[in-house]
Amino acid sequence: MAFAAAAASSGGPAFFSSAGAAPMAADIGPAAATVVPKSVGIKEHRFEPYDFNGGTVLAIGGKDFVVVAVDTRLSEDYHILTRDVNRSVVLSPHCVLATGGCHTDVTTLHKVIDMRVKDYKHDHEVDIETHSVAQMLGNTLYGRRFFPYYAFNVLSGLDAEGKGAVYTYDAVGSFERVPYACQGAGQRLIIPYLDNVVGFKSRTDKPEGDLTPEAAVNIAKDAFITAAERQIRVGDSIRIFTIARGVAMKEARFAIRED
Amino acid sequence: MAAAAMAPKLSASSSTAKELTTHPIVTGSSVLAVKFAGGVMMASDTLASYGSMARFPDVQRLRQVSDGVIIGASGEMSDFDFAMRLLDELRVESECAEDGAELDAGEVHHYLTRVMYNRRNKFNPLWNQLVVAGTKDGKPVLGVVDQIGTAFEADFTATGFGKHMAVPQMREHWRADMTEGEARELLEGCMRVLFYRDCRTINRMQIAKVTATGSVVSPAYSLDTEWSLKSFKKEASPEDGSW
Repeated sequence: MAFAAAAASSGGPAFFSSAGAAPMAADIGPAAATVVPKSVGIKEHRFEPYDFNGGTVLAIGGKDFVVVAVDTRLSEDYHILTRDVNRSVVLSPHCVLATGGCHTDVTTLHKVIDMRVKDYKHDHEVDIETHSVAQMLGNTLYGRRFFPYYAFNVLSGLDAEGKGAVYTYDAVGSFERVPYACQGAGQRLIIPYLDNVVGFKSRTDKPEGDLTPEAAVNIAKDAFITAAERQIRVGDSIRIFTIARGVAMKEARFAIRED
Repeated sequence: MAAAAMAPKLSASSSTAKELTTHPIVTGSSVLAVKFAGGVMMASDTLASYGSMARFPDVQRLRQVSDGVIIGASGEMSDFDFAMRLLDELRVESECAEDGAELDAGEVHHYLTRVMYNRRNKFNPLWNQLVVAGTKDGKPVLGVVDQIGTAFEADFTATGFGKHMAVPQMREHWRADMTEGEARELLEGCMRVLFYRDCRTINRMQIAKVTATGSVVSPAYSLDTEWSLKSFKKEASPEDGSW
């Protein structure tokens, strides 16, 4: 197997050479071995097990559906590691978990939850109910109470009656069921918008009829477009899951700004 | 750890405490990798630094795990050796089954992710950024994992200083249908800029490629350089001089 030459190639392999250089001193002596370079000091590299890799998750529950949206930008400091990361996991035909935070914890947590959900299915031969996943996720997070998963979860699905269910968590397992939720890097920009448009908080008018899945998807898109304008960790694209009663789960992609 | 044994004792470590790799000592700089039509190509220099000293100029930082998988490593070189030993043990055990099954790049990447995460949880990390390249079902695979287990796949990637200096060039020039020659041109262009700007690099590099038919790591070679460029010249005025 050989390499194709680069268009502006350097003329192929040539070995490192010290030809023509002055001869080296025979021996520097043992004292040299004890010198520690300054840059190796402990201060410069303290081990940090956590990182914040961005990630924003949004979910809107309806009468017989739930819409989940999660962004795909993986960032670290001011770097974009990839524009196409997956921070969601489909746990059953009616349940999705999406998570922001420290990506190493996010991937591990998703593997653990997915494994436990599969175990449940093998044991009981039915898909686990969303409220059961919700409790199990809370317990799993609390299991790491003293070395937490730095992961901010929104669990969404249909409940036993087919209604949209959204559960929101903190990193150590506290959770509650809510009508809509947002977590992660863009949370502070998106929540006020959802309070206004979905929750109708502090408004004198009332919503005209029930929210539809299509309207919820549009709200999710608007929320992410808006957050991407002001929060550098939000961008690239979002994954949108629509889970509705009597219909197979749908997954769609929507591009948002890339800068 | 080999690294801890090699380093002189630091005042912070007590004689009873377990020695951990809490900071890297002998380190490699950037690894670059891009997918091209039919495979993945990787590049790195052959330097292992000791702090700011260019200590070991002939260290292979691109290595073959098997015919179809190659790994490039930034960070602590002794931890890289250790990770390669784990993979070798895995390969030998798998060969004993004589079923013809081999780990593909996706599986190697996944395995390393779990190793890195578990070591992080023990506060005893393998201090590396590893780039795994290979193919899966005929399609190129390019995965990255770091010392805390952050893992992802990408079309092109760079570690270390390359994150600052090579990624912008890759974003501008990378295409999914690049030929092998174009991929090499891109990587060599990035390596040249890194040699100009990264203080932990030498002009001695290797490239490696993986396609569905196998992998190869090149012998080490040097790039042509051009130091008469205007921005390298130190002008009299501090305003418009070289930085």
